[in-house]
Amino acid sequence: MPHGSPRFVHGKILHNTGSGIFYRMEVAIPERIDFVPGQFAMVSGWPGNDPLLPRPLAIFRSGGVRGKGAVEFVYKVVGRGTALLSGLHAGDPLALTLPLGHGFEFPGEDRSWWLVGGGVGFSSVFPAAAALDGQRADFEIFLGARTREQLPPGEWIPGGAVPGRVHLCTDDGTAGFFGTVAAALRDRIDRRKSSGPARVSILACGPHEMLKAIAELALPLDIRVQVSLESSMACGFGVCWGCVTAIRDGETSGYRRVCREGPVFDAREVVW
Amino acid sequence: MTQSVTPDLSARVGSVLLKNPVMSASGTFGYGLEFMPFYDISRLGAVIVKGLSLLPTPGNAPGRIVETPAGMLNAIGLQNIGVERFVNEVAPRLDDAGAVYVANIYGRTIEEYEAVARRLSDLPALAAIELNASCPNVKEGGIAFGSNPEGLSGLTRRVRAATGKPLWVKLSPNVSDIGEIARAAEDAGADAVTLINTIVGMAVDPRTRRPMLSNVTGGLSGPAVKPVALRMVWEACKAVKIPVVGIGGIQNAGDALEFLLVGAAAVQVGTANFRNPNACVEIVDGIRDFFVREKIFRLDDYRGTLLLR
Repeated sequence: MPHGSPRFVHGKILHNTGSGIFYRMEVAIPERIDFVPGQFAMVSGWPGNDPLLPRPLAIFRSGGVRGKGAVEFVYKVVGRGTALLSGLHAGDPLALTLPLGHGFEFPGEDRSWWLVGGGVGFSSVFPAAAALDGQRADFEIFLGARTREQLPPGEWIPGGAVPGRVHLCTDDGTAGFFGTVAAALRDRIDRRKSSGPARVSILACGPHEMLKAIAELALPLDIRVQVSLESSMACGFGVCWGCVTAIRDGETSGYRRVCREGPVFDAREVVW
Repeated sequence: MTQSVTPDLSARVGSVLLKNPVMSASGTFGYGLEFMPFYDISRLGAVIVKGLSLLPTPGNAPGRIVETPAGMLNAIGLQNIGVERFVNEVAPRLDDAGAVYVANIYGRTIEEYEAVARRLSDLPALAAIELNASCPNVKEGGIAFGSNPEGLSGLTRRVRAATGKPLWVKLSPNVSDIGEIARAAEDAGADAVTLINTIVGMAVDPRTRRPMLSNVTGGLSGPAVKPVALRMVWEACKAVKIPVVGIGGIQNAGDALEFLLVGAAAVQVGTANFRNPNACVEIVDGIRDFFVREKIFRLDDYRGTLLLR
């Protein structure tokens, strides 16, 4: 039976290979896990005490056979932890706590979905795309990067072969739309106005400025927006209280844990 | 064939009997319930819950943690649900889990400390109260009381009079003479001292020219502080007759044994819980394995047996 409550497990790397600026790593774990798109794992594998803390990585895919599990991650080297992770090889041990956090929600009344990934943020929205693709749902994908080489390979995009589904955006115009994903979304919203009132929901993960721009664009138009936030975190399961962000609570606001009440929040509740 | 005898790991902190010497350190274990998906929390000597104040506390602005070599700085600012919600919502669930638990308390004024201690005294199963006189990350209370013997003594006396529960006093390492501070707590009626809390530290970004923490300074924890903590626990053990609970950078059973060896009655495990949610129970198992290997039958036969020269 797959489980969905968090566990601390020891795994073994099956492969950990670079593809452009991204690494794709699959890890064998004792049991198959169930996860909600947007959930993550805390991962560490380097020996010694430095760096001290595990790193949060979005769960990209979960699978397994005959009672054994496997889980896959996509990451980009951004600091010492991910640099050390990128140096690990097949057969190396890895410690993981997973699945963690509150993932994306898929309310039944939403008929069409726009999934937005900025930078390596696609690693948390592609699992949502895979789930929607499995349900034959109506969805489109917006991917933003500084330049062409920083976009994920096309074959990684779930359901990406469907014509018109994938919108690439680059800051320097080397691929797809010349501009930000928020600008591309604005164009898409304008086109939608003429094509009927279908209810749209946006799921987004990426740099804070991108998420903020999307919220400012879509919320006044009554488009539902869920954002997956990033934060430095020590534990990942709600006990260090280091990763908090300000979230609206009625008339006031309070600090909520990105690792537990998030990482996915309703954009209306985030104090931008 | 040799028969292996399960060693007796039971520990005593004053009148509080623990099934083993491993406790969770306050502020690294939530309210204990967060660990229930990982293991049965009644396996621990005790659970020390996150510092409780009279009213819910929002804590510091984000930018609360930063990793440092073999350690981390935190400035959480004691965000907590307040004593009333703890008593009504959390304590019954800790009772149901069969956990031995200790409440860490904090106030901005002595009167707030007293009020929190009185309210907690209503909980029959609460094993002890740990007085946080050493948090470096709040402007009022905390370290303002704990950084000199007079302040600590006054606070301890007042809270001592407010509760019949065993009273443990958590000491700051940010003092010049830890023995003197420990004696002040003992003389004021503490049943035990627990140390160390975090060491005040700081991290800045040379490019943005900004501090890494919203609070500017924070508390250093993790393996980096262990040698300092061990020295202070050893000094405190020599200074007082009441039990000393050792805390500071314990990552594994070997680290815990070092604190027991210099005389700690028990230990608390903090930052290690962040890296590995099973850290506390793995340390219990590791101490047991060590005792089996070394043919030590009781914790009491090992504790405080440091050989000097």
